[in-house]
Amino acid sequence: MTVINVTLPFGLIKKVDDYSKIINVILEQHISVNILKFSTGRSGINLLLDIPEDKINSITEALKKNDIIVNKKGRVIIDIDLCIDCGACVSLCPTDALHMDEKGLLEYSLERCLGCGLCIDACPRSAIEET
Amino acid sequence: MTKTYSEINEKIRNGNVVVLTAEEMIDFVDEHGVKVAADEIDVVTTGTFGPMCSSGAFLNFGNTDPPIKFEHLWLNDVHAYHGNAAVDCYIGCTRMADISPFEYGGGHVIEDLVSGKPIRLKGNSYTTDCYPLAEVDTEFTIDDINQAILCNPRNGYQRYVCAVNSSEKTIYTYMGKLLPNFGNAHYAGAGSLSPLSNDPDYETIGLGTRIFLGGGIGYVIGEGTQHSPSNRFGTLFLKGNLKQMTPEYLRGVTYEKYGTSMFVGVGIPIPILNEGLAKKTAISDENLLTDVVDYGVPRRDRPKLRQVTYKELKSGSIELNGKKIKCSSLSSLFHSRKIAETLKNWILNGNFLLNPPAETLPTDTIFKTMKLTSELKFVKDLKKDAEICYEDCDVKIVAEKIVRKNTNHIVIIDREHTLKGIVTSFDITKAIAEDKHELNEIITKRVFTTKDNEPISNAARKMKINKISALPVIDDERKVVGIITSEELM
Repeated sequence: MTVINVTLPFGLIKKVDDYSKIINVILEQHISVNILKFSTGRSGINLLLDIPEDKINSITEALKKNDIIVNKKGRVIIDIDLCIDCGACVSLCPTDALHMDEKGLLEYSLERCLGCGLCIDACPRSAIEET
Repeated sequence: MTKTYSEINEKIRNGNVVVLTAEEMIDFVDEHGVKVAADEIDVVTTGTFGPMCSSGAFLNFGNTDPPIKFEHLWLNDVHAYHGNAAVDCYIGCTRMADISPFEYGGGHVIEDLVSGKPIRLKGNSYTTDCYPLAEVDTEFTIDDINQAILCNPRNGYQRYVCAVNSSEKTIYTYMGKLLPNFGNAHYAGAGSLSPLSNDPDYETIGLGTRIFLGGGIGYVIGEGTQHSPSNRFGTLFLKGNLKQMTPEYLRGVTYEKYGTSMFVGVGIPIPILNEGLAKKTAISDENLLTDVVDYGVPRRDRPKLRQVTYKELKSGSIELNGKKIKCSSLSSLFHSRKIAETLKNWILNGNFLLNPPAETLPTDTIFKTMKLTSELKFVKDLKKDAEICYEDCDVKIVAEKIVRKNTNHIVIIDREHTLKGIVTSFDITKAIAEDKHELNEIITKRVFTTKDNEPISNAARKMKINKISALPVIDDERKVVGIITSEELM
């Protein structure tokens, strides 16, 4: 399974049924899906979804065709002055966006971060913030 | 060949001492062998930087005029312990602030103090003839006070376990956030860099050993609490002058829903007095074993699932039940290395001499459990028979049973006695209000449950956290064997 972060822009929500647009588009692909996180963001409804790895391309395409945004950019900020490179966040990151480099320093890869936020309350220094 | 402490110190003074970090020693011995290493290497430095809950500091503020004898005192709203003379106190790192608990605690006070930040001191007294002042509210920095002594009853665990979670929900522990169904793993300790791993028989580390502590100089002042050498869980009691330390190596931390603690930086030099120590300090992560322990079971003796090497732990994932799970450290390897490196430089620069311990640490003590005078009660001791109805019965029958049996909870089962849900008297009231007649419409299907062998306190916590008043007791096949309600607990 692989994790994607999708946003349904508020502009696309005209009636109550539109809220389930993301799920409906995915269900049309006849696959099962796990909803890891639901949140209301500044620009729309965010869903963090766990989907079968081999279906990622077809799902991304179908979502985009329906004007649903598939996010790939990072969603957390790490305060490096507070961070002590312990690693308490690393095991929680589903995409290895948070990882240790060879020296043992925490590295954060913006491209890989999906903004699931699992790391935020795992940080003993409160150094991770959601953007 | 053997060496003595004075020979090594002579070399330190002369500037020709040979020092390696514990990681470098592994490669050296690998390449040149133990014999050459014992001849050529004088000191091996170790380091660790991780959360150490048994840490704190003694402070002395000096006397006020008129004098005060503190009864209670707070440093930045963190209650400090006052059971000593008038203006002494002990600030412990796990004590949380009264106003913002789980955000700020004693460890943060110590970090702020070492950083030179002003600390708010509030204290009160019942007053005596010799100490008439009733209240103090002031600010101070580390330079304003007489003594600031870091004094940690248990630091530098020889090794620590690797924590996982078998339960179905995320748990928040002192081993960090553990995802359900073995979703991740956390370990602590620096492995081959850890001080006591490099002197596992406590030949050189003992009472009076001079060490790196919190960026300054400290001393081992004995065995740590819970020192358990017989199963290689040795610990150290450390002290040092906080005024010489740096915040880089003393960091206040908060573990979500657990509480506060402090990262402490500890580095210990090990003199290579003989071949035995050369061999021991060359221990690698492959040869350091610890247990993978299931923190999903909230008991003292948590299930040990397998043994694992620090090499596997540091690889980023461990294997469990044929599955790879992500694994990360709670201690900082980077800072542990930096500590070993810093201590090495202190010795190379002639600023740090080694000394033999006045007494070595005990090698045969064991870690006892708490003696309880009252017997631990389990669910099976307090449960009662559950009032049950079958899943296909009418709401009215459930209602009648509630009245007849004078109870608030009816457990719903199928013909095999398997748990299907629970209905409370409130659910019945709601059914009448909403004109519902089908049991299916009012039943709570996702039920929190307990088992016979669960301690009562754990069941009570489950009810409190989930704001519920009863837990059906089930067996391993989810068959209902009773119920425990808040009434039995009172």
